[in-house]
Amino acid sequence: MDAGASAYLIRPNYKDKFKAVLAKECIGEILREQLYGAQYDPEEAPALSRALADSIKNKLRDVGFDRYKLVVQVVVGEQRGEGVKMAARCFWDADTDSYAQDIFMNDSLFCVAAAFGVYYY
Amino acid sequence: MDPVKKITKEDTWRSDDLKVHIEAHNEESKRRSKREEEHRKYRDGESLDRRRRDPDRDAKREKEKRRERESTREKSKHRDPDGDRNQDDKLEDIREDRYKERKRERERDNRHRDGDEEEKRHSRGEKETGERRRDREKDRYKDRDIDMYSQGARGTNREGEKDRDRRRTERDRERKSETDRRKEERRDGEKDERERDKERERERRERHRARESEQQRHEHEEKQRDGERRERRSDKEHSGHKEKEHRRDREDREKRRRDKESHVAHTSHSREAEQHHQESKESKDYFHSIKDGDREKAREREERDKRREKRHKEASESKRSDRERKHKDSSGHDLSERINRDKEVENEETEENKQSSQDRNDYEEDFEDYEEDFENVDEEEDDNEEEEEKEEHDKKLREDKRELSPKRREEIEAIQRAIDEENARIYSARSKPTTAESAVTQSERHSVDRSRTHGKIIDFVSAKQREVSQKVAKKQKQRSEELLRLIDLDFSITFSLLELPPVNEYDMYIKNFGAANTKQAYVQCNEDNTDRDIQTEEVNTTDKWTQHPPEANAACGGSRASEDSADESTSRINTNSQRLTTFLRSAAQVMAVLIEENMAESNSVKRLRSQTDALSFSDGCIQLNTKLPFLHGRQVSLLQFSQVQRQTLLSVHPPSSKSSAVRLDSETIICVWNIWEPSRPQKILLYESEVRCCCFSPGKVTLVFAGTEIGSVVVWDLREHSGTHLNLVVGKEVWTLRYPTFSTDAVLSVVGHLSPVVSIEPVLATADTSLKSTLTADIDESLGLSFQLGSLDENGVLTLWVVVELHKGNDSGSQTDLGLRPGGKVKLLHSSSLQTTEKSPQDVIMGFGPPVSLQLKFLPSDSNHYFIGTNMGLVRHGTRHSLKVLPKFYRSQFDSCRPVEVTALDFSPSGEPLFLVGCSDGTVRMHSVQREDPLMEWSGCSSGASILSVQWSQTRPAVFCVLDAASDLHIWDLTMKDYVPFVTENIHNDRVTAMAVFGEPAKQNTFSGVALAKQSGKVEIQYFKESLTVPNACDTEKLKSFLHNAFLI
Repeated sequence: MDAGASAYLIRPNYKDKFKAVLAKECIGEILREQLYGAQYDPEEAPALSRALADSIKNKLRDVGFDRYKLVVQVVVGEQRGEGVKMAARCFWDADTDSYAQDIFMNDSLFCVAAAFGVYYY
Repeated sequence: MDPVKKITKEDTWRSDDLKVHIEAHNEESKRRSKREEEHRKYRDGESLDRRRRDPDRDAKREKEKRRERESTREKSKHRDPDGDRNQDDKLEDIREDRYKERKRERERDNRHRDGDEEEKRHSRGEKETGERRRDREKDRYKDRDIDMYSQGARGTNREGEKDRDRRRTERDRERKSETDRRKEERRDGEKDERERDKERERERRERHRARESEQQRHEHEEKQRDGERRERRSDKEHSGHKEKEHRRDREDREKRRRDKESHVAHTSHSREAEQHHQESKESKDYFHSIKDGDREKAREREERDKRREKRHKEASESKRSDRERKHKDSSGHDLSERINRDKEVENEETEENKQSSQDRNDYEEDFEDYEEDFENVDEEEDDNEEEEEKEEHDKKLREDKRELSPKRREEIEAIQRAIDEENARIYSARSKPTTAESAVTQSERHSVDRSRTHGKIIDFVSAKQREVSQKVAKKQKQRSEELLRLIDLDFSITFSLLELPPVNEYDMYIKNFGAANTKQAYVQCNEDNTDRDIQTEEVNTTDKWTQHPPEANAACGGSRASEDSADESTSRINTNSQRLTTFLRSAAQVMAVLIEENMAESNSVKRLRSQTDALSFSDGCIQLNTKLPFLHGRQVSLLQFSQVQRQTLLSVHPPSSKSSAVRLDSETIICVWNIWEPSRPQKILLYESEVRCCCFSPGKVTLVFAGTEIGSVVVWDLREHSGTHLNLVVGKEVWTLRYPTFSTDAVLSVVGHLSPVVSIEPVLATADTSLKSTLTADIDESLGLSFQLGSLDENGVLTLWVVVELHKGNDSGSQTDLGLRPGGKVKLLHSSSLQTTEKSPQDVIMGFGPPVSLQLKFLPSDSNHYFIGTNMGLVRHGTRHSLKVLPKFYRSQFDSCRPVEVTALDFSPSGEPLFLVGCSDGTVRMHSVQREDPLMEWSGCSSGASILSVQWSQTRPAVFCVLDAASDLHIWDLTMKDYVPFVTENIHNDRVTAMAVFGEPAKQNTFSGVALAKQSGKVEIQYFKESLTVPNACDTEKLKSFLHNAFLI
């Protein structure tokens, strides 16, 4: 650190930059894979959401995004005709940090997965 | 040393510490080797570990020790007493630090403080004389006991009170300033202990001096205590981290002590006892080893040692029982009561121990506080001493451990095992009553217990961890500080992750139950039935026209804008329509003629020809269709051909006596014919009175002029539209009957003719045009209609009129020109009038009547010259401008003047200055313009019948026709015969009333003929044979020869 005191990597390389579109594809792919034909089960929902979050995180790690801290939030809820509104707000450096999200829905459940990429300078 | 047991703890010991310890221990190490070994017996747990940690370092230490020992041993032998005092002073220098340390220690461990308290007292005692110390010890013990009892059950001991009093007095003294205290001490020393050496006193004084000099301090290293003190001081002199480590060591030690407290207390009775015994032995040995001269000192030392031993035990968390035992051990000086009391105390304390160590701590604390009340002044010193002693004690422990030899390892191990067992037992026992205490403490204890067996590394590790974490935190903080300067953090907008509106009830119902009974069988998608449609803007189209070459500055046109274009187009259409109508009018004529010709040639012509084969000169004839209802019963009085359009014929039908179906009886009808269109007349003109003469306008046939019986000149404009005229429907046909456009009837009589107009003749502008007579329509058009017209009445008044064409007709009629027909465009203006006849000569007076003018002709070559035929057989010659010209008269060859009317007068169309004159007596004369006398005069050919008409042939200059009243037609060919007519036709079955010669001199289409008006009203067009039509060279020669002959004559 003393050596690199004056040399911080303030901006990520373009290839490492968190690309929302790419991330969204990954998320969508995983959601479709794992939730195809899934029925909502309150017992399994916590485990399911955790598993989804992990697999999304791993997938994103595979894609790249060096020096990014990835926060993946997965919400699985049952579809019973109720209204749902979810929002997120971030305190971050908008130049480097971004997020991607995708939604999966079927008759039984809805699933919102959001991945926030926060750059580690 | 023992490679197997090399477990940790190494870190807790720093080389400096060890050195200090070694140095401190050097002096005693020799003397007390035995004792040290005994110490090792019960300190082995720690010492073992320490020793084993760093054998090399230990070895070094050993060497150092030896060296130091050798060096210090000598010093110690004679400087021992000084060292004591010096050390005291030196300690004062670092009192403050110590004080702090002590405080910390106090906080950490109350129980340890117990020991400290005791040590304080001990140290106090040590400073003073042995007796006093002893007393004080007694007192203190008493006091403490008393205090403790007094808190539990108050003051039962009188002796305690005495002791306390005494001690109070002492403390009062002690409370004085340090210098005072020293004096006091000296005093005390004098009072209490006479045995104290002079040396010592001296040293004490010296100590004052030596306070500032550190070297002196170093020199005083004879006794263990002194050494220890010095060690401590040197520790202080070393860097701060040593202190820290010291502290850490101390903490460790304290922990150990605590542990020991908890378990060693029970187990180490025997050992401690043993130790004490050994100590006592040692002391004895000590005494023996000390030289005689130092006896007193030695005694002191012995006592001190004993005390130290006691303190040792106490400091190593020995319990009351231990203390009790110590007291017992040291009972040689202690009172029996005290022992008993101690025992009691001990019992109680042990009980307390079992119940809760905390209570006891409290008691002791209270006691301490109480004591401290009296010792405020001394405290600092006491603290120092206390510290010293503590250090001493610690170092001793360490030394003991360090001195551990491999021999005793087995022993140590055994002891360790026993300790472990004890620990286990104690904790199991403790956990029962102290279940109320949190499990945390238990677990802490367990961990501590374990850590003890495995070494003290955990604390260090945690410390290290703390250090590391601190370092990391510091790093992070710095990093964040630097980065935050470069980065802007901000709140993002709120991302809406999911917006799922609630489903309304109906949808929910349908979703759940709506599809319950349905099944999707198949899907029909009308994919192939697609509609394609293209919607585009409708294209705007406009019409444009173009013309090449451009006409009237317009090469192209069309509707640019909707309105303008409409107007323009209409205007253009108008202009075009005008041109079109003119075109159509002319074209229609042509077409009509062509059609008529076709008909005529196919039907009538052949038929007529067959009929008229009788006429010898005729090549064929056409009969005009005069069988019109309004022409029924009328004769033809006059025939007249146009000079320019030679096919156009005028026929004048005067009113007949017979009444006809049409009410036009009283009116003269003039028909305009086209001889190639014989079926019907082109135009029909009407006039109320009889027409005596008529003529066409020069050039194009647009106007017809007529002179009337009543002395008026009338004009018809043939261009007028038929709608403005009377339309007469006879049968299926519609006839337009035109009245004159202009009549001079209304003109003032001054300028008009007063007698019937006998002749009317246009005045041609130039001779050339008249000569050639090939004026095209264009030239005529360009000339316009402005020409003059001459009219002659019977009285010989020649009037010239100017024909004026108005640009625009006025349908309502004209105010000024009363003779103008409403809408008429042509009018005549009176130009001039002249009297052609002179004053009546004598002849006339003689009885021939007034002279009558009958014929008017203008000279074709010069229109200024007029020729007028009179009733006297003369042709009068004059000019319009009244100039005298010769000859004045043209007369007959035989008699100058006789009453013969000149009925016909005709100039040669060939251009020769010749004219023919027909007279009523049947003679025909041919005159030259230059001569008065005729060139030829034929008198007998017509057998005395009046000549009606004489006309030159239009095509052959040497041929002319003569019609006489006997209806004989004579055709003269001067080249063939110049004395008799070439042909004479006598037409008797239907008398010929009028005749007109026509012909076209053009070479390509030469034709000529004569129109004959019959009495029955028929009009025949007779075509001459080719021999009479086609001109030849001898014609002009003959005429010239005539002229030549005449001049010759």
